[in-house]
Amino acid sequence: MSTLDVGGYSPREKGVAGLLGALAALLLLAVITGFLAPAYLLYLVGLSAMYMLLSMGLNVQWGYGGMINFSVAAFFGLGAYGTALLTASGSPISGGVSPIVALFGGLGLAAVLAVIIGYPTLKLRDDYLAIASLGLAEVVRIFILNESQWTAGSAGLTGIPLFFSDWPVLGDLTYPYVFNVGGTSLFYMSQSVVTSALNVVLVTVIVAAVYLFLRRIHQSPWGRVLRTIRTDEDLAETLGKNTFAFKMQAFVIGSLIMALAGVFYSHLVLFVSPQDLQPITTFYVWVAVILGGTGSDRGAMLGGFTIVAIQQGTRFMTDTGALPIGAAPLRLMLVGLLIIFIVRLRPEGILPPERELIWPDSLGGGRNE
Amino acid sequence: MAQILQYLANGLVFSSIIILGSIGLSLVYSIADFANFAHGDTMTLGAYGALVAFGVFGGLGGTVLGLPIGFFIALAVGMALAAVVAVLTHILVYKPLDTDSIGLLITSIGVAFVYRAVLQASFGTDFLQYDIRRSGPIPVLLDTLDVAVTQRDVAIIVSAAVLVVALHLLLQRTTLGRKMRATADNPDLARVSGIRTDRVILVMWVVGSALAAAGGVFLALYSQLDPRIGFNILLVVFAAVILGGIGSVYGAMLGGLLIGMLHELTPLLGDIGLPISNAYAPAVAFVIMVAVLLVRPRGIAGDMT
Repeated sequence: MSTLDVGGYSPREKGVAGLLGALAALLLLAVITGFLAPAYLLYLVGLSAMYMLLSMGLNVQWGYGGMINFSVAAFFGLGAYGTALLTASGSPISGGVSPIVALFGGLGLAAVLAVIIGYPTLKLRDDYLAIASLGLAEVVRIFILNESQWTAGSAGLTGIPLFFSDWPVLGDLTYPYVFNVGGTSLFYMSQSVVTSALNVVLVTVIVAAVYLFLRRIHQSPWGRVLRTIRTDEDLAETLGKNTFAFKMQAFVIGSLIMALAGVFYSHLVLFVSPQDLQPITTFYVWVAVILGGTGSDRGAMLGGFTIVAIQQGTRFMTDTGALPIGAAPLRLMLVGLLIIFIVRLRPEGILPPERELIWPDSLGGGRNE
Repeated sequence: MAQILQYLANGLVFSSIIILGSIGLSLVYSIADFANFAHGDTMTLGAYGALVAFGVFGGLGGTVLGLPIGFFIALAVGMALAAVVAVLTHILVYKPLDTDSIGLLITSIGVAFVYRAVLQASFGTDFLQYDIRRSGPIPVLLDTLDVAVTQRDVAIIVSAAVLVVALHLLLQRTTLGRKMRATADNPDLARVSGIRTDRVILVMWVVGSALAAAGGVFLALYSQLDPRIGFNILLVVFAAVILGGIGSVYGAMLGGLLIGMLHELTPLLGDIGLPISNAYAPAVAFVIMVAVLLVRPRGIAGDMT
């Protein structure tokens, strides 16, 4: 046996897993006792997964490549607006396009914006990149807010169809949907539960695909170059790597993942407005990434979960009237304090990257001895 | 022509506000070495501090430049409050941190959120105003130049000018100012020369935050007061600092003047037929900022301190 037990789980990982398990059990209990509507729980799961996606996207840029991108909200918003403008009945441009096609519309918009923002800013020093990307994200928001002939402006876009609305079987379900086994109906599900469940399935597939893709590229030579750039860009340059090209590729990949989250958000909430592009969205994702652990995709997942817990928890706590403070300032306060305390106490995050950096074969080799 | 003069007059008022904000941001950038994203919310904090103080002192008689004496006392209270909060933040949050300038930058976002959360919890998100009656444009200027400038606008410009001149004298004529310039220029050299740089850093926080608070008070006086005014204007202030050259106080003044003017001249683009409305004024400032970063990252004033 090797002394370096990289295959096992650290106490902290077990702790996090236990905490999440306990929370999941608590939420299930709340559903069973009727305290929480099942459709709402599924909605929360979808929302957490969406924040996971956003965090994984930022992780490619900041975690792998060390780029301080403060325009997360813009890419998220373009994904959301891209699909909404193509599919929504309330769209001032076209509407009625199939969500599957519109998905690529949203991604295309984000890719173009990523190149437009990335080209001038990725050459800049870290802190300048932060300021410049936040400024350019605000330009995108101001554009969407004011060009109402194309974007419906501050009113936002309504009438977005569900992602599965025009699929062969899933689009034609009748509600309440009855499960039949051998002629006897076992149980039935309301429309809201079925659509929420389908959304969860959709986002699970997306998150799993993105996770596997990221793990693959992170461990590839491409990922190694990117990590070198993060540690010492001059060194990578000296080794003959075109660092700008690598950073640009990471920037576009990360932005596409954020846009994917935006597309999903559109079909989850069925409404988008310029409010979704506020800088606060960007900073939520930043908190998720630095809390989970910069460069760690498992950490990004934990972070995404935490953000939804903060958003919904503050709403729940103030709804009960237990606190003398509104939900919005409480949320802002929690996010602010989280940022300060993470940087102070655990700058590497709760689940910093460990095993992610080790090629799986080398683990297996150790076990066979 | 009168239209352009009007834009320039508006620009002068807005520039005064941006200049007050950008001096402090530039000072922190050079002496504490990070982009302080809490600076906008420091401006907001000062504006709310003055609002509360104005409730107490507002009734004091006499007017200066069309504003009650009580307003200037409230302004001083707002500035003092922002300075105290900034120094406490420095001691409690930034100083114990063992991190680089990026860690400080990220922390300052957290600080900004905490400031704003406190203000939002105490005052709500509604628009508020200082309880001072607005007067019409000054008749003389309206008749001769066809430019509408209120007494309040003049008061903002004059007060900002007084503060800027005071800072100039502090920096150039006093030992403290010399120490500040030395620390900004080269902190290590300043320390070995016997300057207590940690004290200079405290002074820098006091000066920068007090000026920011003044900017916030004038911004609230110029338009309205809500918990987001500071953060909303922060990027424009950054644009001014970067245009002027980070770390240069005089560059920040020049950058603030230019960005403030350009911000208010944006309607001109619409007047000459371009499809760019007023709402794009901040966007114009951001685009200029990115262009400056690319072409001349040291800014127009370079290394002047």
